Amino acid sequence: MTLLSGSLAADFGGTTDAVVALHGVKVHYPVKEGVLQRVTGQVRAVDGVDLSGPRGQTLGLVGESGCGKTTLGRVIAGLVAPTGGDIWVDVDATQHSEIERLRGVATEDRSPEDQASWKSLESNHRLGSMSRDKQSRYRRNCQVVFQDAFSSLNPRQLVRDIVGRPLRVHKEASGEDLDRRVIELLERVGLDSQHLLRFPHQFSGGQRQRISIARALALNPEFVILDEPTSALDVSVQAQILNLLVDLQKDLGLTYLFITHDLGVVQHMSDRIAVMYLGQIAEYGPTADVFNSPLHPYSRILRDSNPTLEDSLDTVKWDLSGTVPNPVNPPQGCRLHPRCPVARAECGWSIDDVLTDAERNTPVVFETISRVERKSDFRATVSFSEPEQAKKFAKRIGSLAAHEALEQPIRLDDKLVEVSFNEVSEAQLQQLKDGRWSSCTRTQNLGALPEL
Amino acid sequence: MTTLNRSRETSKRAAVARESALSVKWARRREVAQEVFRNPLTVLGLIIIGLFFLMALAAPLLTEANTPDPYQSPRDWSNISVPPGEAGHVLGTDATGGDVLYGIIWGSRLSLQLSLTVVGFTLVFGTIVGSIAAMRGGRLDNLLMRVVDVFLSIPELIFALAIAAVLGPSFRNIILALAAVFWVKYARIVRGEIIRIKQAEYVAAAKVTGDSTWNIYRKDVLPNAVSPLVVQATLDMGNVVLIGATLSFIGLAQAGLTEWGAMVSAGQSGLLAGEWWLSTFAGLAIVLWALAFNLVGDGLRDVLDPKTEGR
Repeated sequence: MTLLSGSLAADFGGTTDAVVALHGVKVHYPVKEGVLQRVTGQVRAVDGVDLSGPRGQTLGLVGESGCGKTTLGRVIAGLVAPTGGDIWVDVDATQHSEIERLRGVATEDRSPEDQASWKSLESNHRLGSMSRDKQSRYRRNCQVVFQDAFSSLNPRQLVRDIVGRPLRVHKEASGEDLDRRVIELLERVGLDSQHLLRFPHQFSGGQRQRISIARALALNPEFVILDEPTSALDVSVQAQILNLLVDLQKDLGLTYLFITHDLGVVQHMSDRIAVMYLGQIAEYGPTADVFNSPLHPYSRILRDSNPTLEDSLDTVKWDLSGTVPNPVNPPQGCRLHPRCPVARAECGWSIDDVLTDAERNTPVVFETISRVERKSDFRATVSFSEPEQAKKFAKRIGSLAAHEALEQPIRLDDKLVEVSFNEVSEAQLQQLKDGRWSSCTRTQNLGALPEL
Repeated sequence: MTTLNRSRETSKRAAVARESALSVKWARRREVAQEVFRNPLTVLGLIIIGLFFLMALAAPLLTEANTPDPYQSPRDWSNISVPPGEAGHVLGTDATGGDVLYGIIWGSRLSLQLSLTVVGFTLVFGTIVGSIAAMRGGRLDNLLMRVVDVFLSIPELIFALAIAAVLGPSFRNIILALAAVFWVKYARIVRGEIIRIKQAEYVAAAKVTGDSTWNIYRKDVLPNAVSPLVVQATLDMGNVVLIGATLSFIGLAQAGLTEWGAMVSAGQSGLLAGEWWLSTFAGLAIVLWALAFNLVGDGLRDVLDPKTEGR
């Protein structure tokens, strides 16, 4: 199958205008150890994400807890500084293709015109290089509704001060005018003037989330990041808030980034969804397509984890095994492969996978490992204190999906086991069909999601 | 036309709302106060504290101030070591004829001076240090907290004793010594609270509004960090007097001062001879003072900061 080129950031979801376009955004947190606070590793919360927010649409960002979706939202909101990559703001398709083209040319190889063009793009659209003025205009334009309606409102402030704060900070209103604007905002989200002088603790969860929304709308933003806005609410209240958000989008022409782990909600809300796993985008596409014919095993698993009324007892459900791998040391190849029900040889098996498997499933064997001599991530000699356990270890690998990926048969030499896997490079997100992206190596090879 | 009416309607409501904003905040405070008053032990503590405050304020009215130094009991050389109730001395006299009641009354002024100065200074200084450490983070935080660790590694009493001994025996030096010791606790508490509050989503929400760091500190961070400070400050009002009394007991205040600890110390030589009143009454004053502030502090903690109960 021929793959279409380019990065996901160039996919503007059928529009020609994006409020934000991310290029290889990374957020790595250093892991410090000991008294001297030596950096011993990096937690890769977000690890190279390309993505665009098409204007006027809702982009859903789904994934399980800890996959980096909230961090990504905070990067876009400017609350967390990315440790790598670029964030472009308000770019249209022409500007974006210019950015893509220039990114392909090394800085020293650029012609003077190219350099000038890059410079002007940077100073007008790149977060971090834009003028202070433009930066603050973007911040005003991009507001956030947070997940926890109970902790996102300062318990010591009155609703008037909470909702009116953005107006006050940007000197848009004060005194009586401020009160009037706040009442208008409250009415817009289904509250009214009698709620003006109350403290947050006097409201129910749903009402508090309405207050949060009113605050986010105070500065008439174009772009609102919704960070799990309904996950802390009762199901009945969830529907009310979602309908409110849909109505507001219709009336005000808002662009949403909807972050959630709830697929039912995202299906109701989004035009397009991006499925995140372990800091990277696994799949991206129009919502209905991703739901009806997922192109990544992880999307399929997420969808199947949501019970529906149409399910019959013999519906085959895909399931994940094991737990989320450590983001300090993510798996080689495709990040899902150690947990994937359809993983095969090409998915990127490495020494860490068989060691993790031994630790989880055959702890007795794992305990007797005395030394691991690594030649690379894919080749190592594992020494055991007992030949018996070395044999068991070799046998266990033979029974795993990983054995298909062995470069050469396992060499068992008394207490030593020599394992060498085929080297695999990191799985890349690629466009398979028009507007459908997947990072699953097998899907890319087969052109369709593999069978279970 | 209707929109105009509607907007006029809205601004009328807004005007009414603005007037009552203050009253809503006061109503909230009143609620907290009512909850505090519901605990009888807290009320008892407050009554005792009130009486001590009255006594301290009215000292020149209750007794005739001694000249030149009112903090020395007037000497009645003809009535040395008189038991309570005799020769016009309600609580008796000490070995130099000083009136015990006079000492207790003027001693309450010294206790008030001591506790207000020390707690006032340490609260402000500790809050500043803790705030800088927590807001800045990184190396400065590390450095400041290691200094705090050094202070905390030495028991309060021993440390204050060492400082007061170096500075020389006087009441002013006791205040200095206690101030030098007590601020670390506040720095610790404030830092911890701020680091916790900085994680709260309302701080992130405030950042999104574009407000300045100083405003976020002033409006979001500090107000939510205040509760444990109020509790600790109340408890310290008692602790400071207790440790101050210990220092003057072992002779770090001027001789003959009407400081309760010094009075207990002066009275102990007479205890074996059956002259119990001086040490007993002065000791009782110290106990009541410390007890009252502890009762109120515990009561405040139950209302303001229930999660740290029993710390």
